Amino acid sequence: MSTEHIRNFSIIAHIDHGKSTLADRILEITGTVSDRQMKDQLLDDMDIERERGITIKASAVTMNYEHAGKNYMLNLIDTPGHVDFHYEVSRALSACEGALLVVDATQGVQAQTVANAYLATSVGVELIGVINKVDLPSAQPEITAEEIEHVLGIKKQDCFRISAKTGLGVQELLDALVTLLPPPTDLSGEPTAALVFDSINDDYRGVICYVRVFAGGLTLRQKIRFMGAGRTYQVTELGKFSPKMSAVDRLGAGEVGYVIANIRQLSDVTIGDTITDDSNPAKRTLPGYVPPMQMVFSDFYPGNNTDYPKLRSAFEKLALNDASFSFVPQNSPALGFGFRCGFLGLLHMEIVQERLEREHNIDVVQTAPTVSYEVVTNDDNVKKIDSPSELPDLSHIKELREPFVRLEIITGTDSIGGIMKLAESRRCRLLKTDYLSQNRVMLEYRAPLAEIVYDFYDLLKGVSHGYATMDYEFTGFEAGDLVKINILVNKVPVDALSLIVHRSVAESRGRRMLVRLRKAIPRHQFEIPLQVAIGGKIIARESIKPFRKDVTAKLYGGDVTRKMKVLKRQKEGKKRMKSIGAVQIPQEAFMSILDNSD
Amino acid sequence: MNVEKSHCEQSGLYVHIPFCEAKCRYCGFYSEPVRNHNSARLVSAIITEFQMRIQTSFSPQTIYIGGGSPSCLPQEQLSRLVGEITSRWPKTDEFTIEVNPGQLNKTSLSQLRKMGVNRLSIGAQSFDNTELSFLGRRHSVENIQKAVDAAKKAGFQNIGLDLIFAIPGSTLASWEHNLMSAIDLGVQHVSTYALTYEEKTPLQKAVEAGEVKPVDEETDRLMYETAIEKLEKAGFRQYEISNFAKPGFECRHNLNYWANYPYIGVGPAAASFWNDNRTTNIAEINTYIEAIGKGESVIEESETPKPLQIACETAVLNLRRRCGIYIDEFQKQTGYEVLKLFAEPIDKYGELGLIEMTDGRLFLTREALPIADSILCDFSDV
Ligand SMILES: Nc1nc2c(ncn2[C@@H]2O[C@H](COP(=O)(O)OP(=O)(O)OP(=O)(O)O)[C@@H](O)[C@H]2O)c(=O)[nH]1
Ligand code: SF4
Ligand SMILES: [Mg+2]
Repeated sequence: MSTEHIRNFSIIAHIDHGKSTLADRILEITGTVSDRQMKDQLLDDMDIERERGITIKASAVTMNYEHAGKNYMLNLIDTPGHVDFHYEVSRALSACEGALLVVDATQGVQAQTVANAYLATSVGVELIGVINKVDLPSAQPEITAEEIEHVLGIKKQDCFRISAKTGLGVQELLDALVTLLPPPTDLSGEPTAALVFDSINDDYRGVICYVRVFAGGLTLRQKIRFMGAGRTYQVTELGKFSPKMSAVDRLGAGEVGYVIANIRQLSDVTIGDTITDDSNPAKRTLPGYVPPMQMVFSDFYPGNNTDYPKLRSAFEKLALNDASFSFVPQNSPALGFGFRCGFLGLLHMEIVQERLEREHNIDVVQTAPTVSYEVVTNDDNVKKIDSPSELPDLSHIKELREPFVRLEIITGTDSIGGIMKLAESRRCRLLKTDYLSQNRVMLEYRAPLAEIVYDFYDLLKGVSHGYATMDYEFTGFEAGDLVKINILVNKVPVDALSLIVHRSVAESRGRRMLVRLRKAIPRHQFEIPLQVAIGGKIIARESIKPFRKDVTAKLYGGDVTRKMKVLKRQKEGKKRMKSIGAVQIPQEAFMSILDNSD
Repeated sequence: MNVEKSHCEQSGLYVHIPFCEAKCRYCGFYSEPVRNHNSARLVSAIITEFQMRIQTSFSPQTIYIGGGSPSCLPQEQLSRLVGEITSRWPKTDEFTIEVNPGQLNKTSLSQLRKMGVNRLSIGAQSFDNTELSFLGRRHSVENIQKAVDAAKKAGFQNIGLDLIFAIPGSTLASWEHNLMSAIDLGVQHVSTYALTYEEKTPLQKAVEAGEVKPVDEETDRLMYETAIEKLEKAGFRQYEISNFAKPGFECRHNLNYWANYPYIGVGPAAASFWNDNRTTNIAEINTYIEAIGKGESVIEESETPKPLQIACETAVLNLRRRCGIYIDEFQKQTGYEVLKLFAEPIDKYGELGLIEMTDGRLFLTREALPIADSILCDFSDV
C-alpha cells in the first residue's frame, strides 16, 4: 500500500480518561473485531490489566477503513496513562505521525494530559483534541475545551466531542483523522530503517519486536541487522496485530507490525534500536530512546533462606518479560541473601510484586522502597547508591545528593492552600502557577523525589478531595543536608530498616519510625528493645513488651483437629516475616517506616 | 514419671452426652437442654452405636463419659449406659464420669461406684457463689462440698475437680481462696482452666458490648503461676499444662489423648482417632439418633492425616505434658526423628530457655508454660 493511505496514531490521555474504550469503538467501526469477540477494553489483554482496569503496556493494532471511496490502513497504538509507564507513551509516539489526545469532560485537563501532550509536541506528532465522556451529566465539554486551548494550544472549535462509551461522535472523529493527520513520508525507495518501539517475550516464539518501518521494507527471510547492537538475524515471521498476531510476507514503509527473528532473549534487543537490511544498510540509525529511569528500589529477601535460588529464577523470568525491571544480588548483614530490585515507580513495583506472588508463590519479605542517591566521597569519587544501607560513614562523605523532579499538580483553586502547605512540608519549591480556567490551576514545583514518590499522591488526593492530579519528571541530582536514620532491633542494627532523610526532620521522623515499628512488630516471648540512632547517637528508644499468656487451657481428644488448625494459622501468621536473631519482623514493619503520617 | 509413658496398644473409649440442664454463660460446646429430649432414645442409640461401630477386639484401658453433663441423665438411663459398657468391657483401668455438683440429687454415686465407675470429675469451677452465678453455673459452693462428701462416702478414691480462673471480677486473692478450698476438700486431681471467651456465647457478647472486662494478661498469668505453686505445695504434681494430680492419680484417659494414642468416641459430636483416621460424629442429636435408627454411619467428618501430620500432632500434644516428648518413643510411634524434624524451633526455643532436653526427653520449661501456644504453633507444621 502506498504510504498515502496509511495513518499511524497513538491514543494518549491522563489515566482513565477513556483511551482503551475509544480504541474499542474504533475497532468496532472498522470491523476489525466482530460483535461476538468484542469486550470492554479489548486491548488490555494482560490479566493484571483486566483486574485493575488500567492499561500497563501499549498495544498496537492494524485496521482497514474506507473513507471517501478509498481504503486506508490505520495503525492505532493504545497507551497507558499512569505516570510509571510514561516511557511506553514516548515509544508509541515515535512510531506515529499523529495522536488523539483524549480528555475526560468531567475531569478536564489533568497532569498526565499535559505531560503527554508535551511529549507529543516534542517528538513532532500532530495532535487532535478529543473531549470524551460527553454522555455523562457532569460533563463540562466547553470548559474542558477552553482548558485545552489555554494550556495545550489546540483551538477549542477543533476539538471533537465524543462518548467513547456510546460511540457518539467516534465515526466523525475517524473520518476527520484520515484527513487531518499526515501520512508517513514515502521513503520506500531508501535502504530499510525500522524502529523497534517495543518487544515482548513469547514462551513459544521467543522475542517478538514491535516495529515501525520508516524506510524501505521488511520481508520474510530477509537478513536484518540491529544497528545499535550490531547483531544480525534472519526474519522468520512478519506480521500485524489485528489485534491478534497475523502473519504477512512484507511490511512496507510507513507500516507498523512485528518481527520474529530467532532472538533468544529480551535483553538481546534494545528498544529504540534500528533494524536495517544487512546487505544494504541505512546510513544512519533512527533517533532512539533514552531508556526509562528507575525511580524506586527495594530489596526482596526470601522468607526462608533456602528459597534464594527459587527467588532468583522467579526474577529472571519476570525480567524476561519486563525490561524496565532490574535485580541484582544483595547481601544484608541482618537479612541475609536477597535482591535489590529497581522499578519505574510504586505501581510498577506493586505489579512486579503481584506477579511474583501469583506466578511463583514464594514467601518473600520486601523492604521499604527508596530512591537512589549520589555520594561524593572525600576523594571526589561520585558513587550512586540505591539503598540507605550502602551509605558510607558520613566522615568519608563530602556531599550527599538526592534526585529532584519537576512536579506538576493540577487542582481546583479551592484546594490550593492545602496543597501549598503539603508541598512546603515536603521541601518542594513553587516555580510557577498557571490558571487553566477560572477555577482550575496548575502548580509547578521543584521537588525532591524522595518526598513525593511514596505517600505524597495519597495525601494530595486527601487535601484536594480527590481532585488533584500530579505528574513528575526527573531533572537531576542535587546536594542536600541529608542524614541516615538507623534502627536497632533487639540491639542489632537492621540495615533494611534505615532511611535517608533531611536533617531538619530526622529526629521527629526517627521517633515516628519507632512508634510505627512498635505497632508493626508482633509481641514475642521476650521483650524487644527498639532504638533509633542518628549519626551514631541513640536519640530514642521504645520496647515491645512480651506476651505473658498465650495458651489454650484445654486440649482433649475432640479438639485435636480444630486446635491444630488454630496453631497452624498462628504459624502461618509468621509467614512473610524475616528473622533477625530470635526476632521475627513482618512485612508490614519494613513498610511501616515510610508511614510519615501523624 | 512412668505413668505418662503409655504403651502403644493403649486406647480409650469416650462417650458423649450432649445434654445440660441449661446453658452456662461462657459455654461454647454443643449441648441441648435435657428436658427437650428423650434420654432413653439417646442412650439406646449410643448403645446401638457400640454394636455397629466397635469391633469385639477393641479393648480400651480407659473409659470416660463426658458432656455436656452426663449427670443430668435420669439415674436409670445412666445406669443402663454404664451397665452396658461394663458388660462389654468389664476390665478397664480407669472409668470416669463427669458430674455436675448441682445434679447429684438425681444420681446415685454409690450405685455408679458399685457398677465399676472408679473416677469422678466434678465440674466445681469456683468456690465463690458470685463467680458461679456470673458464669451461669446452676450450683453453689455448698453443692460442691456435698458432692465431694457424697463421692467419698460412695467409695470413690479418685476424685477430680475442675476450676476456672481469670473470671472477670476475680483477684489473685479470690483465686487463691478457690485453690485452697479445692485442696482442702482432699481431692486427688485438679484441672485449672483460664476462662476463654468462645464465639457467640452470651459472655463474649457481653465483653464486646463493654459490659464485662476480661482479666488482664498479667493477672491471668499470675493466677496460672499461683495455681502451679499452691498445688505443688499441697502435694499435687503438674503433669500437663492445666492438669495436676497426686502421684498415681493422673487421668489416664486424658494422658492417652496427649500421647496421641487411639480412642473411639461414641455419641453425638464425639471425636475418634482410630486406624490413623480422625472422625467426628453427627452433632445434632435427632439427626444422630435417626441415622442410628436407619443403620447408617454417624460419621459426619473424616480425615486421614498424613504420617507427617500425625507426627506434628503428636509433638504438639506430647509437649503439653510436663514430661514432654520421649525422643525414642516418638520415633517408634511416628517414624520421625523429633530432633531433626523440629530442629529449627528446638534450636530457637532452646536458646531462649523455653525448651529443654534431658534424659531423652524434650519438654517445655516452666517459663514456657504460660505462653505454650506461641511455641507449639512452630511444631504444628513443618
Ligand atoms: N460514561 C462514560 N464512561 C466512559 C467513557 N469512556 C470511558 N469510560 C469509562 O471510563 C473508565 C476508564 O476507561 P478506560 O478506557 O479504561 O480508560 P483508559 O484511559 O484506557 O485508562 P488507562 O489505560 O488506565 O490510563 C472505564 O470505566 C470506562 O467504561 C465515556 O465516553 N462515557
Ligand atoms: S454444664 Fe458444661 S457443657 Fe453444659 S453448658 Fe455448662 S459448661 Fe457447657
Ligand atoms: Mg487504557
